[in-house]
This record gives sequence, C-alpha cells and structure tokens, in this order.
Amino acid sequence: MPRVFRNRTDIHSDIWHQEVVFERGHLYLIEAASGTGKSSLCSYLIGYRDDYEGTMCFDGHDIRELCTYDWTKLRQHSLSVMFQELRVFPELTAWENVQVKNQLMHFKSDKEIAEWFEALGIADKRDSRLGHLSYGQQQRVALIRALCQPFDFLLADEPVSHLDADNTRMMGALMLTEAQRQGAAVVVTSIGHHMDLPYEKTFKL
Amino acid sequence: MKLIWKLLRRHISIGQLVGFFLANLLGMLIVLLSLQFYEDVLPAFSGEDGVMKNTYMIVSKRIAAVSSINGEAQPFTEADVKELEGQGFVRRVGAFTASRYQVYASLSMGGIGMGTDMFFESVPDAFVDHRWPMVSEGEVPIILPRSYLALYNFGFAQTKNLPKLSEGIISMIQMDIRLRGEGGAERHLKGRVVAFSTRLNTVLVPESFMRRSNAELAPNAVSEPTRLIVEVKNPADDAIATFLQQKGYELEDNSLEAGRITYFLKVVAAIVMAVGLLISALSFYILMLSIYLLVQKNAEKLQNLLLIGYSPARVSRPYQLLTIAMNALVLLLAFVFLFFIRGWYLNLLWQMFPAMSEGSTSMTILMGVALFVIVTFFNIVAIRGKINSLTPRRKKLTGGLYHSING
Repeated sequence: MPRVFRNRTDIHSDIWHQEVVFERGHLYLIEAASGTGKSSLCSYLIGYRDDYEGTMCFDGHDIRELCTYDWTKLRQHSLSVMFQELRVFPELTAWENVQVKNQLMHFKSDKEIAEWFEALGIADKRDSRLGHLSYGQQQRVALIRALCQPFDFLLADEPVSHLDADNTRMMGALMLTEAQRQGAAVVVTSIGHHMDLPYEKTFKL
Repeated sequence: MKLIWKLLRRHISIGQLVGFFLANLLGMLIVLLSLQFYEDVLPAFSGEDGVMKNTYMIVSKRIAAVSSINGEAQPFTEADVKELEGQGFVRRVGAFTASRYQVYASLSMGGIGMGTDMFFESVPDAFVDHRWPMVSEGEVPIILPRSYLALYNFGFAQTKNLPKLSEGIISMIQMDIRLRGEGGAERHLKGRVVAFSTRLNTVLVPESFMRRSNAELAPNAVSEPTRLIVEVKNPADDAIATFLQQKGYELEDNSLEAGRITYFLKVVAAIVMAVGLLISALSFYILMLSIYLLVQKNAEKLQNLLLIGYSPARVSRPYQLLTIAMNALVLLLAFVFLFFIRGWYLNLLWQMFPAMSEGSTSMTILMGVALFVIVTFFNIVAIRGKINSLTPRRKKLTGGLYHSING
C-alpha cells in the first residue's frame, strides 16, 4: 500500500491490504477510481518508486532487494510496460521511437513492426515526428514499442484512453496475440473506459 | 547508438564545451610546456658536459665574529664528517690536515734572497689533481695554487720590476725549508714546487709527509680539520645548497652557482606547472558542470530510456564518449602546440649555449597521457554517478539476483 495511505481507515480494495498473485498466461484487469493509487501501483511494479508498505515479490524475490542491474535485466527480458504517460520521445519519428526499444534486444524484425504499423492504421505516420502526431496515434506507437521485447508480464496502464472503438479492438487483439505467443500475462488498468477483452480476473483498486 | 545520440545531444551547449576545450587546452599546454622546458634547460646546468663541471668543493664552517676575535678555529668533528659522508650527493670526503709546526721557507735566486713564514696542508692523495713525484730523502714536493703564480707574475713582479716566472722555471727552483716544532726541534729540508693546482687553494704537501712530520715535530698537538674537500656526484644538485645552508657551512668558491640556478629553475617550473594544473582542474570543473546541466535538462529522456530497459552504463556512454573525444583532442593539440613552441625556444637557447643538448621528451609525453587518463577517468565516473542518481536508490549495488530469478 502506498505510504501516503498509511493513516486512512477507509481502504476497501482488492489489492491494498490483500495478498494478490499475478501469473503468466493470464489476463487481468485492474479497475480504479481516481485517487485510489493506480499510478503509484504501476510505479512500484516497474521499480520506479518504492514508497510503499508491505511486500512485492517477483518469483519469490522481494523487489526491494533488486539492484539497478537486476531491474535493467528485468525490464529487458521479463517486464514490458505501456506507460499511461507514454514516455515516448517527441523529437524522434514514430519509427525511431519503436527502434530505440527494438535495437536494445533486436526482438522483432522490421517487417513485423511495419505490419503492426499497418494494422493500427499509422503506417503513413511512420516517418513523422512523434510530437506532431495526435495522442491516440502516440498511444499506438507506444503499444508497438512495448511489444518489441520478450516479456512474462505486459503492464498496460490505461492503454486506450484516447482511442475509438475500432482501434481499441485492434490494439487489444494485437496485445493478446503477442502475449499468447510468448505465454505471458497481460495486466491492464483503466479508469472507466476499458478494452473489451476476456479478462480472467478483475480487481477493484 | 545513433538514435540514443540523436536523443541525448539535445541541450548540448556548444559555448560551454568550447569554454572547457580552450581552458583544458591552456592548462594542459602550460603543464606540458613547463615540464618540457625544465627537461630541456636542466642539462645545461648539470651533468658532465654542463656549464658547471667542478665536482670538488671545499667546505669550511662559517667564521663567527666571536671565534675570529679569540682566534679559535671551528674544526669539523668526526660526527660532522660522518654526517656529510652520509649525504646522498656526496661521493667521498677528505680532510685537510694542517702542519702543527712552524714553517719557514727561503730561496735565493741570482743573488736576491727572500724568505717567509708559511704553512703546509695536505689532503688525501686521491683528491689531488696531480700525481706526487718520487723525491729523494730530505726533499719535499710542494703543490701551489695556480692563482699564487698569477698573483706574483701580474701583481708583485710587475710593480717591483722582478722577473716573471713560468711554471717550468719555478719547478727548477729549490727552496730551503726549515721546520720548527715543539721544544725547539728543527728539521731542514729542500722543497721543490712540482705542480700548480686549480682545485686546491693552499700550499700542499703529500699526506704521508705531513703525517710523518707532524708526528715527529708536534707529537702532542692534536687538531681536527677545519676544512674538508668533498667530491660530489652532481654539483648542480640543489640538495647541496640546502644542506650547507642548514649546517652553516661555507664554500670557498662559488661552485654552488649552478646548484642555485637549478634550484631556482625547479621552483619556477613547479610554480608554472601548479598554475597549469589549477587551470586544468578548473576546466575539468567547467566540463562537469556543463555535463551535469545537460543530464539535468535531459533527465526525463534519460529516465524514459532507463524505464524501457536501457542500462545506466549504456545511457552514460554517449556523454562519456563525448568527453573522451574532447580530452583526446585536447591532448593531441597540446602536443602539436608544444612541438612548435619547443622548436622556437630551443633555437633561442642554442644561440646562447651552442653546446647544449636538448632534453628528453618522454617525461612530457608520459605526463600528458597520465593527465588525460586521470581527467578522463574522473569524467567517466562522474557522468555515470550522475546518471545513476536518476534511478531510485537501491540497497544493493552489486548484481546477481536477476540470474537467480531467471535461473
């Protein structure tokens, strides 16, 4: 639980104060209302912050004990994140934004990436600077980037907040296909508007 | 790497980097130039074929006002001699032994007779710049200072209308020598000047003769040497001047001049080098500030790279390569400038000292490379530290856990 909630007595959550396990090969949804600590939870899971109480473990190892090197390897091989705030690079083109990630592990071929651009309807924006694209288009680039690495867990933090129904469906399909191919788990968070996917378990934060 | 560079080169301030570059170049050049100049000029004042060749020095204790009134000489004790022998710059030490009896010498030449009270001294034979010839019993060989001959010829003889004497003529003259010791004991000898010395400024007789005559004529008098002859390894060694100053010893001639110049040169070179190092340190500071500012301005981008799986080492690399390249360029340019400036001042020096040989450049090259390595090392470490500070603080700093997770 986030440390700032320490003195609150009105916490009724499926996650805070509970023991929760995420496993490979499953699809989870975390539904949250504003101010329930969703962003904090994501920050803890990716090792960006550690101002929480309680214990989070990865394969039985307390993640507080992980060093910078461990986290780097974890982010390269096991944990892919599509950030709510995207964390893309506006001065690079859409294509370069994906390549920044892909050249790290050389996980996907240019052909596969091009197909995803096609499927999500942004093939014509490939060489445009990302800063010039709409937020919805940037979200799609961010998703493609998140899929360009091996992972056991894909954490998608409000992935479709700015997308229409068609694109939402396409993105969901892409995500699930890649996750299934890798046998990985997908954890989606949302505030209200969420992807219509066959979630196996839904948590209320 | 290309994409990373494209991302991270944003906010690089050309002005700051140029400032660093010039300051670092100046600092490096001053350090290397002072070192090289020192190396080039030093041989002119030291070494076998230097301006200063005399490796023999005559040392005495400073005569204090009180002792000059009561007539007491200040002899060297055995401990003094031992201490002097123990100094690193000393090759060997010999003591002057003075005659402890009265000496009267007279000569008659073409009907003119003259005589004078005088004295004898001796030093170990190894310190004498001539070999003692074999003489018959009742004769004693004498070495006079060359300056005495000049004094007689150009001072005394000229004003008194006396004949000028050459070394050859003098060595043919026999002197009558009378020694008078304790209790009126007397000995008569023939004396002959066998050589003139430039090294020893005294009336010199063989040490064996001195020992014998002292024992014979003054068996009870004991005297310790008041002057020492010292052979040093390198007369330009500034340790000599420091030691003599500290002990209150004096030299007979100004044979320490070279040592003083060398010392002065060393001090000046050290000061200039310190200024150079200071400028280098300041330029290092400029670079660090500039890079810190750059990291701060690009903090968000750097953090994003770290969060999508880039290691701190990998995102540090572009900035580290940038500093390595700049430092290497500075080193190279410093060497080029040094080469031209050295050519110019060597020409000047050769006009002054045509026999001068140039010093070695290896020390300077070594110094330049060492500075480059040290500065670059600290740059690299500082950049990495700054990037690491962008990630949350971890309890453990070593890796390894990941393998057990994946294993």
